[in-house]
Amino acid sequence: MRTGAARSQAGHYHEAGFYSSDKEFRALIVPFAEEGVAAGEPVIIGYDDRKNALLRSWLSDPLAVTFLGDKSLYARPARAIATYRRLFEFHVGMGAGQIRIAGDVPHPGNGGTFAGWDRYEAAVNAVWEEFPVWGLCLYDTSTAPAAVLDVVERTHPRIVSPSGQRRASGRYQDIWHFEGLPFAPDPLEETTPTLELLDKPPAAARHAVARIGHGVVGDAILDDLLMGVSEAVTNAALYGHPPTTVRIWATADSIVISVHDRGCGPADPLVGLVPGPGGVMPNPGFGLWLTHQLDVDVALNRADDGFTVRLRAGRTAE
Amino acid sequence: MRMIGPVESYRGFGLQDHMCWVHCDLVDYRPRLSEFFDEGLERGLRAAYVGSGDTEELREQVAGFTDAGSQWTPESVRIISFNEICRAGEPVDPVQVIKKYAMETQEALTDGYRGLRISADVSDLVCTPEQQDAFARSEFLLERYSSRHPLSAMCEYRLELGDVVTQFACMHAAVPAGLTPFQIFACDDGAVGLLGEFDLASKSSFDRALRHIQPAPDDARLIFDMSAVGFMDHHALLSLDSYAEACPVPVAVRSIPPIVRRVARMLDLKNLGHVRPEDL
Repeated sequence: MRTGAARSQAGHYHEAGFYSSDKEFRALIVPFAEEGVAAGEPVIIGYDDRKNALLRSWLSDPLAVTFLGDKSLYARPARAIATYRRLFEFHVGMGAGQIRIAGDVPHPGNGGTFAGWDRYEAAVNAVWEEFPVWGLCLYDTSTAPAAVLDVVERTHPRIVSPSGQRRASGRYQDIWHFEGLPFAPDPLEETTPTLELLDKPPAAARHAVARIGHGVVGDAILDDLLMGVSEAVTNAALYGHPPTTVRIWATADSIVISVHDRGCGPADPLVGLVPGPGGVMPNPGFGLWLTHQLDVDVALNRADDGFTVRLRAGRTAE
Repeated sequence: MRMIGPVESYRGFGLQDHMCWVHCDLVDYRPRLSEFFDEGLERGLRAAYVGSGDTEELREQVAGFTDAGSQWTPESVRIISFNEICRAGEPVDPVQVIKKYAMETQEALTDGYRGLRISADVSDLVCTPEQQDAFARSEFLLERYSSRHPLSAMCEYRLELGDVVTQFACMHAAVPAGLTPFQIFACDDGAVGLLGEFDLASKSSFDRALRHIQPAPDDARLIFDMSAVGFMDHHALLSLDSYAEACPVPVAVRSIPPIVRRVARMLDLKNLGHVRPEDL
């Protein structure tokens, strides 16, 4: 049985709150956590060290709350979705009637990059629908850019204020109608690529990336790039329209790879964030889902001239 | 040390090497076979020419391969006809093929040789899909046997077989560079080695090759060694997992490259186990 604002709701109850001080942050997060603990619900918190410490000092029983210390939780949107899903499966299996989660996705206001997390905030309205989850996403209006706050209003069906007032977001867009942040080209993409391959097999693309990327990024990151470019070229051949063009740009410490085909790209707005239709393997979205969990920056661009998967690593992607 | 991986030359064979080679015709094959046998005889090995004709035909062929005055004698260069092992036009019985090779190898040792070196043009034995399946299984058994016994083999296929050759080439420890993107070979401790690149382009070949691998009767489990894997995508991992599901003994991988291990974890494979080399 669910408690609090999500009582009698089904699926993921996704709520945003805005604050501009620690006092307002406390007013939003403490009742959420304390009421959850009092109801015997799992409460999972995934903030940075400072906010986690603050929250511990405010809670009457901090040991009753799970603080996720794994900083890689929010490294990639697809990884965060998968990690939370496993947690939800565990808690539901243990009999939880509701699971409360709160955390901070990366954005410029907390030292991160928001690219990709706009899709995450939209996607989680759909991908956790089978779980009794109350997700509270708190954003600091004094540091988060306007573009981020705009996305938050459009991706959260409900808004809560520090005073505890709740309202529906009048600007909410479901996953099928969500307008994500525009694709931001990397400056390197405006220059002549180091190498361009036309309609070559995945192996040729991997060998080219291995040759050009050696010494530019570390071996582990290079392995991720090889996996990513291989999946992208394979997908272009399977589901796109020829020609498939692979372009590679490299500097002394960064590498950008684009895989472009003339198709319109996958129609599924969740592509890359979840394993694909029904989780059945293999399927058109599976390679992109794996790619989105790698330790490289992944961006998708649907444009008039076709669909592009862009991979970045090194200084550019940081 | 066995030759493992793509090679540029057919020369320098060891006592336990198993190589695939491709030729246009006998004119192309003969000098290589002569050199292969001569080198073996110099190393104290017995040679054996294996073919699908009757023994007399094969003996005449061999007589035409070598110059007068060579050291080839009926005792040092044996003739083995596949007719002794299987009926003409029918698929070979892989187990019988290996039994024959094992017997010949043992006999060579008993006669004072350091081992046996064989070569054959097997193109006529792989005309139909049934023959191809059976022969690919015998290639894997030969690969496994030669990894543990003093038997070296150069298996020759005619170029006219086209892409069909790839399914046999990948079952050899040594192949001409560029013939196959991946190889399956036998490790000396009984594990099955994977080498090269495995992606969607090679998936059907890999699936077919896996069907030809069966655990030995005394294998409690089957281990794939992945230390020579250059690349493996999720399609190939799913193939391995499906193979593990159908295999009568538990299947595990070892020495899996870090990126492949991460992808395997993402896939949450249900059937494929993992062992550390130090656990063996």
